[in-house]
Amino acid sequence: MNISTLPPQTNINGVWFNATAGQRPVHVDECTTVTQLFQKRCAALGDRTAHREKDLGIWRSYSWTDYWQHAKWIGLALRKLGLKRGEVVSILSEDRKEWAWFDMGIQAVGGIVSGVYTTDSANQLNYLINDSDSRFLIVENEEQLDKYLEVETEVPGLLKIIILEDEGLHDLTHPRCMMIDDLYKLGQQAETEDPTRFEAELALASPQDTALLIYTSGTTGKPKGAMLSHENILAAIESGARALPAFETDEQLCFLPLCHILERAVSIYFPLAAKCVVNFAESPETVFANLQEVSPTTFVAVPRVWEKIYSHVQIMTQDATPTGRAAYRMALKAGIARAEYICAGQPVPASVSARFWLWDRLVLRNLRRMLGMDKLRRGGSGAAPISPELLRWYWAIGVPLVEGFGMTETSGLATLNSVEANKIGTVGQAIASNDIRISDEGEIQLKGLNIFQGYWRNNAKTAESFTADGWLRTGDLGHIDDEGFVTITGRLKDIIITAGGKNITPAEIESRLKFSPYISDAVIIGDARKYLTALIMIDQENVEKFAQDQKIPFSSFASLCAAPEVKDKIEVEVAAVNKEFARVEQIKDFRLIDVLLTADDDELTATMKLKRSFVEQKHAYLIEDMYK
Amino acid sequence: MSDPVLTIRNVESFYGPIMAIRGVSLDVHRGQIVSILGANGAGKTTLMKTVSGVMDPEKGKITFDGTEIQGSEPHKVVEMGIVHVPEGREVFPLMSVDENLNLGAYTLADKSRIDHNRELVFTYFPILKERRTQEAGTLSGGQQQMLAIGRGLMANPKIMLLDEPSLGLSPLLVQEIFGILKRLNDEQNVTMMLVEQNAKAALELAQHGYVMEVGRIVMDGAADVLMQSEDIQNFYLGVREDGARETRRWKRKKTWR
Repeated sequence: MNISTLPPQTNINGVWFNATAGQRPVHVDECTTVTQLFQKRCAALGDRTAHREKDLGIWRSYSWTDYWQHAKWIGLALRKLGLKRGEVVSILSEDRKEWAWFDMGIQAVGGIVSGVYTTDSANQLNYLINDSDSRFLIVENEEQLDKYLEVETEVPGLLKIIILEDEGLHDLTHPRCMMIDDLYKLGQQAETEDPTRFEAELALASPQDTALLIYTSGTTGKPKGAMLSHENILAAIESGARALPAFETDEQLCFLPLCHILERAVSIYFPLAAKCVVNFAESPETVFANLQEVSPTTFVAVPRVWEKIYSHVQIMTQDATPTGRAAYRMALKAGIARAEYICAGQPVPASVSARFWLWDRLVLRNLRRMLGMDKLRRGGSGAAPISPELLRWYWAIGVPLVEGFGMTETSGLATLNSVEANKIGTVGQAIASNDIRISDEGEIQLKGLNIFQGYWRNNAKTAESFTADGWLRTGDLGHIDDEGFVTITGRLKDIIITAGGKNITPAEIESRLKFSPYISDAVIIGDARKYLTALIMIDQENVEKFAQDQKIPFSSFASLCAAPEVKDKIEVEVAAVNKEFARVEQIKDFRLIDVLLTADDDELTATMKLKRSFVEQKHAYLIEDMYK
Repeated sequence: MSDPVLTIRNVESFYGPIMAIRGVSLDVHRGQIVSILGANGAGKTTLMKTVSGVMDPEKGKITFDGTEIQGSEPHKVVEMGIVHVPEGREVFPLMSVDENLNLGAYTLADKSRIDHNRELVFTYFPILKERRTQEAGTLSGGQQQMLAIGRGLMANPKIMLLDEPSLGLSPLLVQEIFGILKRLNDEQNVTMMLVEQNAKAALELAQHGYVMEVGRIVMDGAADVLMQSEDIQNFYLGVREDGARETRRWKRKKTWR
């Protein structure tokens, strides 16, 4: 490509971008599609490490050449098996290097990639495959394969199922199933037959082509597939690079589901631009251990994970020696003093700096090392609101943690705080690619190149999500301050109108409740009711610890929730939150959800948030009980 | 129901730095058989040892008949009427059956009482009477288990802690021994706390059950209710869920509901 035909370029940390963001065509190192960028990186980086994955307890590296070679075989083989441009391939697997390989291989031959959560049931899989009209399904292992086999007859559109792990499936003979190694062989064959086909297919893509389908769970109705184009993704990369600096030497840890746009953008697309290394966590349960092993330079997680790390530290300090506890208290105090200046954007006075330096050497540095955050340059939180107190705590221990806001429909990013421009309690400023405005109703609306193309085969829903003049309706309520920092106050749909006619946004109250270490999540009830009530999910670990320390007998989780002392404790927490709100916004009664919910339950989203509609439905008896 | 004879409240026990029991609370009522189920390493044996005084709990309270016994010396605990029949039987192999039984009555001074207890043991385990002069080490596994239980009975227990009485025994023997335990409970009103891996046998015998996992109780309930629980059926009773394939190897996650 001739550089002189490009719009003015700017170099950000070693990667070329359009000097003015948000302009068509979006260029990342001269590339206008994701797959072009992928090709360019693989050719240039060759044997350098792209991914790391733990195999039988040992971290193994996979190079950019591996990335390219496998993606190529995957793309060519799927094509040979009948994949046409514009057709969908679904991936049902936990995070692993093959996820990225398939993502690129499928996109390179013009396919559209759709991820399915491993926690989805067979019926949900059935719906997703039929709705997306998938031609192929990639399954991780026998557990996921069984979901397909359960609904086999209802998904006739699938040509082949490709299985990544053959453990327990050596005897499987099924006309529609094949193992990954056979797919690679097929790809190798196709490569020898037509060595330049892959590159030729890759060159056919245009920025407007749909690259991904991301199904959004949606609290009401069936999931809808949001279509994201190459341009959308590059726009996200363009904005991400500006607000969240990344370097070639960066190490990341990938553990949130790759079906979710947040992890997908951060762990597959951003590294294509930044050339950094992505480490795949072994499983969602081992994240904390993997975090220590990898010690990433940037780490993006959902609030729940940040909360867990915080409670872990709290528990550790409670069990520490009195000296240890005192040292932690002093160090935290020094950290908070310094964080106050930083978060307010003021220069830190030398005395505060010096005190922090001392306590950092003595305590905080060790704490960060223990958490695997000693090299962390920036932590990110998204996908749900995080409490300001938690953010301050992280800044105090020397972890710069910033919050952002994004949706599937905005390719994952819409507003971001950065380490330099950070206002706690807000979700930051609009990213370079999209403009932001607040409607008369108070809804946040967005327009830009990162805004999605529409919902897959659902024009009605697409039309509903845009205003007449083409702005995306986020469904979130909020306001913007004079410096452009956005604060989100709640969901438009979630607005509760009490019997007294008072409009209440439950999100504010809920996120205040969630900051209690004993409350993991809460749902405020009160639509068309006389007063507000709450359904509360307790934080198992912390409440168990509390019960243990207070000598409150309990056996199972249900009996823990039933213990009067636990109820009293939560009541204290609720009362503390109530103080911060006006009378009509106060919680008059609450009930604890006494089953331990897992990601497999309908009530929880894949990022472990309570889903209002399902919670209200499943625990209707508890709700009625509060209004008797 | 009567007040519990044995109550365990928030007990924590450690092996060095390793927390083996992470806060366990449970009740055993008089005349009841309570089963504790759990996989290897769940902390079942540790719990037994903590009750019988072999181990001291770091935290928590154990009361027996209204008296706190946590941290008491094992011999004091035995004197109070708590008898621990350890895992792996642990009979004295070079002593005769009679001598083993006499050791079980070590805490009793009353000769006639001892004789009475011995007769009682022999009525339930007639095979021991036949072998009373034989060295315990030469008995079969099942007979040794009977001897271990018999030795426990000699101390006139108010409660017996039975640690895996089915260990290493044939299904037929398990049936026999559990049959005898049932009779002891019915006829002599012996209260029992039973640790078992053989969930089916244990739940059939007990009135109440607790499930332990990594040092905590995750589920408890009446034995017949537990038997119906999907998790118990899948993970302890070997009931297979209907799967899409016959050779399915994966198991769904436990939820303990």
